[in-house]
Amino acid sequence: MSCTREADSGLTAGEAAKRNDLATRKPYVAAKLARITEMEERGEISPIIRVEKSYLCNFQCTHCSAEYYMDRHFKKVFKIADERRKIDLDDIRELSRQADELGLARFVITGGEPLVMKDFDAVVEAIDPDRHYIITDTNGWFLDAARARHLKSIGVEKVQLSLDSMVEAEHDAFRNKKGSYKRVMRAIDAALEAGLNLILSTVLVKGRASTAEFREMCRFCAERGIGLYVSYAKPTGSCTEHPEFVIDKQDADLVRELEKQYPVFTHMTPSYGSFKGCITVKGIITVTSTGEVTPCPYIDFSLGNLRETPLAEILARGMRNPWLGPHRPDCLIGEDPQFIRIHTEKTRGATHLPLRWGEGFSDQDSLLEA
Amino acid sequence: MPHVDTAELFDEHGRCLPGRTSAPAHARSRRYFRCNMPTIDDGEIHRRIRRHLAPSLRIREDEFCDRVEHLRAGLRDDPATRNLLAGPVLPFALPQLQVEDIGESFDARFLPALDAAYRAALTDYEFVDHSLGGTAGKLSVRPGSRHQSLLAALARGEVVGLYMPCLSEYSLPAAVERLAALPERFLLSGAFDTAAALIGTPDLLLREDGYPPLLWISGVAGEKPGVDYHFEAYGYNLTFNRRAHLDQAAEYWWHGLTILAAD
Repeated sequence: MSCTREADSGLTAGEAAKRNDLATRKPYVAAKLARITEMEERGEISPIIRVEKSYLCNFQCTHCSAEYYMDRHFKKVFKIADERRKIDLDDIRELSRQADELGLARFVITGGEPLVMKDFDAVVEAIDPDRHYIITDTNGWFLDAARARHLKSIGVEKVQLSLDSMVEAEHDAFRNKKGSYKRVMRAIDAALEAGLNLILSTVLVKGRASTAEFREMCRFCAERGIGLYVSYAKPTGSCTEHPEFVIDKQDADLVRELEKQYPVFTHMTPSYGSFKGCITVKGIITVTSTGEVTPCPYIDFSLGNLRETPLAEILARGMRNPWLGPHRPDCLIGEDPQFIRIHTEKTRGATHLPLRWGEGFSDQDSLLEA
Repeated sequence: MPHVDTAELFDEHGRCLPGRTSAPAHARSRRYFRCNMPTIDDGEIHRRIRRHLAPSLRIREDEFCDRVEHLRAGLRDDPATRNLLAGPVLPFALPQLQVEDIGESFDARFLPALDAAYRAALTDYEFVDHSLGGTAGKLSVRPGSRHQSLLAALARGEVVGLYMPCLSEYSLPAAVERLAALPERFLLSGAFDTAAALIGTPDLLLREDGYPPLLWISGVAGEKPGVDYHFEAYGYNLTFNRRAHLDQAAEYWWHGLTILAAD
């Protein structure tokens, strides 16, 4: 029987080393992270909180899940402006406080492209790097050596950098930005030199898992000592126009096999001793620019608005929802055809996403068709 | 024994209907998670169990096949249980065992045998035990599971039985509650019988076109309330692990029923 986990903690040697390092620099954050396993055994959850304060972006990617939230989409498609009230730094401070009270420990700043945000540093400060483990997503365009050192200095721990192909022309085409591949390569060096924790993030479209290019990306990550986070293409956002991107179980199983050889993982790969399958609510939530909380970055149904409902109640709504709360091994929005159909039908033609609590998800939801 | 009306116990797919359990269970299933319906070869199952779990098994292959067929016929001939055969029904044999510590026997004998059987049958894939520190000293017969009768039978001699993962989408208390309404010959499946069934039929949870369920070994209780042990596929691999279930139901969570041949 193969088992590479530490006997006592369930952590791999690499995971334990990262935790130990964090404990010397940020003991409060490390202690919270160490408590997650016992929280899960008590039925408590500790989702990562993704904060989408701004959707500004210098890219226009083929598969972007946030495109329909962007001002440019409102203007171009609906000829309107999004008049909804946006979250500010006080909202983020309050979110940080409520999250800390619940024992939650991890924030991801995302968007849009976080590194174009003028108030990025203020957002980090509002989250509070001494209370929470802070990660930022980026496309890498602005992540040079100086910026990477700066991120580290203000308390960012980890960078999740997008790379969609090892073939330069393919990456640039997928990202609709010439030169973006070279910028990613520069950003990798910059992040590692600055001592940031780094993972690459790549979108898995149908069939890609079996390509030589994908295998090459896995090898590249292994050689550089970088984790490769594989995000399945979901039929939402810009990908709504590309249903052919959506993977099937064989693609997912191929990635599971590659996990044996390479530092590759998906959102459902067991990590830090936690085996929770689909992480909706249990392992992740997204706070949109209007304060709506969705159960994953790709589901455009809200569980509530933070200005109206406390975070604890929003999480409780998610956990009692039959789609979101129970453990399941597959990706709800990426693999379950019934849920995908419901999501597509309800969001079709909607101008303002996510759909509010009661319009998408509600306490009356059922797994069975009406 | 009180008369039990079993006419509506199992649906056309072999699922044990939950009826009006007070603990959580899904009244109806959309059948999203399903077990593979593997090819059952009783002789091959006997050979696998002898090869990997019980080299000194005294029951001969023909005896095993006869006893298994007798058990199946018993289910088939009873209108109340006939539908069970529409779902997976896995024969197994167990060696005689005087069990002092369920977990110790399980770790020492059953998990290594399952590892060997899985690798032998599915050469590209593996069995992985994620349970930290093993199960020695941690497993006990669950009250209301009738599982004690399996341990008693094992103490008397070798055992032949059928394992049927038909309590789908039940919380653990609901599985126990439902068992109480079933004829006495049904037990809630535990560690040894579930593992032996998987040793005999290693590809039960291997599916390429969809996801199989997680199988709790609910006849035995773990060391902590609300946290128990289970088998689960990970891609084409098989895993053993523990997790908190907190007495909740999920469409992914299934339990098994076991029946034993007469001594």
